[in-house]
Amino acid sequence: MRDTNLGRRGFLGGASALTAAGWVGTIAGGLVLRPTWAHAAGPIKMGIATDITGAIAPSGNANWQVAQFVVEEINKAGGILGQPIELYLEDTASDPKVAVGNVRKLIQDRKVDVVLGGITSAMRQAIKDPIVNRGRTLYIYPQLYEGQECTKYLFNTGPSPAQQCDRLIPYLIKTLGKKKFAMPSANYVWPQLLNKYARKVIEANGGEVVFEEYYPLDQAEYSATIRKITAGKVDCVFNTVIPPGLQPFVKQLYESGFQKNGGVLSCVYYDENLLNYHPAQEMEGLVSCLDYFQAVDDPFSKTLQEGYAKKFPGTKYLFTAGSAATGMYRGVKFYEAAVKATGGKLGREEVAAAMDKAVLPNGPGGGAEMVPGRYHAKMNMYIAVCKNDGGKTRYEVIDKTSMVDPREC
Amino acid sequence: MDFAIKFVFDIVAFTSVMVLIVLGLGVIASMMGIFNFAHGELVLLGAYTVYLSDAYGLGTWPGVIAAPFVVGLIGLALERTVIRRFYKAPIIAMLGTYAVGLIIREIVRGLLGGHYKSIPEPISGAFAIGGLEFSWWRSFIIVTTLLVIAGSWLLLARSLIGLRVRGALENPMLARACGISTGRLYALTFAFGAALAGLAGALIVPLYQLSADIGIRFLVQAFLSVMLGGVGTFGGPVLGASAVGGMAAGLPWVVLPVLADPLVFIIALVVVRMRPQGFIGAGRL
Repeated sequence: MRDTNLGRRGFLGGASALTAAGWVGTIAGGLVLRPTWAHAAGPIKMGIATDITGAIAPSGNANWQVAQFVVEEINKAGGILGQPIELYLEDTASDPKVAVGNVRKLIQDRKVDVVLGGITSAMRQAIKDPIVNRGRTLYIYPQLYEGQECTKYLFNTGPSPAQQCDRLIPYLIKTLGKKKFAMPSANYVWPQLLNKYARKVIEANGGEVVFEEYYPLDQAEYSATIRKITAGKVDCVFNTVIPPGLQPFVKQLYESGFQKNGGVLSCVYYDENLLNYHPAQEMEGLVSCLDYFQAVDDPFSKTLQEGYAKKFPGTKYLFTAGSAATGMYRGVKFYEAAVKATGGKLGREEVAAAMDKAVLPNGPGGGAEMVPGRYHAKMNMYIAVCKNDGGKTRYEVIDKTSMVDPREC
Repeated sequence: MDFAIKFVFDIVAFTSVMVLIVLGLGVIASMMGIFNFAHGELVLLGAYTVYLSDAYGLGTWPGVIAAPFVVGLIGLALERTVIRRFYKAPIIAMLGTYAVGLIIREIVRGLLGGHYKSIPEPISGAFAIGGLEFSWWRSFIIVTTLLVIAGSWLLLARSLIGLRVRGALENPMLARACGISTGRLYALTFAFGAALAGLAGALIVPLYQLSADIGIRFLVQAFLSVMLGGVGTFGGPVLGASAVGGMAAGLPWVVLPVLADPLVFIIALVVVRMRPQGFIGAGRL
């Protein structure tokens, strides 16, 4: 062994290695996408604050790509009443502490007219105050979430618990005949509040919740949970465990013979991204409920997917519902509709008032309309079951409910 | 009865996973006095090797077999370039290995695009004994763990190389005076520990998803296992890992799952307080 004298310099060397590692993949200073043409009144400045790096990066990048895609479409068609949209991106880095500073940049330096973004509820909670209260700017939140967000000037364009549960749970109970539910969940706000709502719907429909349990997000071992499912004769698992704890849970559930014995696994955030998360046999029969699946038979949605694939060929960030991408599409389009309604005025009061009544004739999975005074949108909801075609998984849409009420606020 | 047997099987399977992960960490901590914070990322690299072999159409087996060698070589390179500079300063070594781990982890995260990847089991399905079904891959992991424990013990406690390694740890000056190249031995030991981590990663990745954080989630529990079992012995970390793994899997049956994790730590810390030397006192390899 060579003797090495590691003093202050060596220590600093180690410390800079740490910094260098943290630097990997960060976009410092944000990003601007300018339109190719100008308007006398100047561009409409749209801020996107989403998770380009960190744990939520797959969804965040999908959001950013969808925003670019739909803004390009709008600008190509002549902008909003002749005014082009200029896009400003700030990385929220899957970390609320980093996010707050970056979001402030959007508001104070870039002076954007609207901010869209945030994926986790923790992120929404962290950035809504700098945007809505201190920043006096309109905020659009695109992800499916636990509900109860009724802040003025904050519009939610993803599905609420009612939209995800009101049709799905009666389907599980009445159509599939499942009565005994287990609710294994990750221990944070979305599962807690979603379960509270889902439990009410289960009990109202004559079902029974055998147990509702919360785990650390990265739990690796679920033997005890599986034994409780077997011992309680559970026939429907309403899952809100999320990655990275998700995959070992689903595997152990499958190994216990749950599905083989007629059990149904249901999970309301499963979209096309999740199809590759488990081996096909473990996914088979899974029931999900979202505002859009790529299998939905709707010509407008199909055109959207084709356009997206053309702009981002071979991308790993899909245009799906579970990752807030559909909510992002709706958010941008709602904003467009609102600005059209104000006759091009960009003041927060005017746009918010118009946004409150905005209607989209089309979108991924169909149109949507804001429910006046409720900050949430009615939209179509679909129930899909996962099929296994010889090792390849896909969703089959088996139920569509039109214009489901969000029942919020 | 059926119920109990399945539960015990699951607990034993998870305990084997813990032991596999802890083994390499324990070897490096015990033989070299280095707490390797990059251990989780060596596990990750083992898992990533399997993913690559599967993604390039070779199937999972070549990856599982190659993983210990690939990661062992990476470990060797790491030791020669970075780790050997830290032997005199164990605290700095922790920071240094942490930095190395962070770099590896973020590079892999970039390569995966932050996504999770499912890796199929090399032997899938289950076999039945008396109407009870047991997963082939979990059984394979249990058997492999036992073989690896036996093999490592023979190598370190019963072979000439093992004797030299222990000698080099006990008194490096004297060992060098006897003509033993301690530098080379340290490099080999580190590579061996890394290879064990690579094997662990390759074996466990079909049970979990491949993600950049696959190693880190076990790391804290792995360190706890080493403390609990006792640094400086071979059997200590194995026993410690068994205790921690068994408790982590079994406790959620009796207490709220969110409380199980902290409870494992509390129990382990109480034990460490009462037996600071761990289950097995140092120096009895």
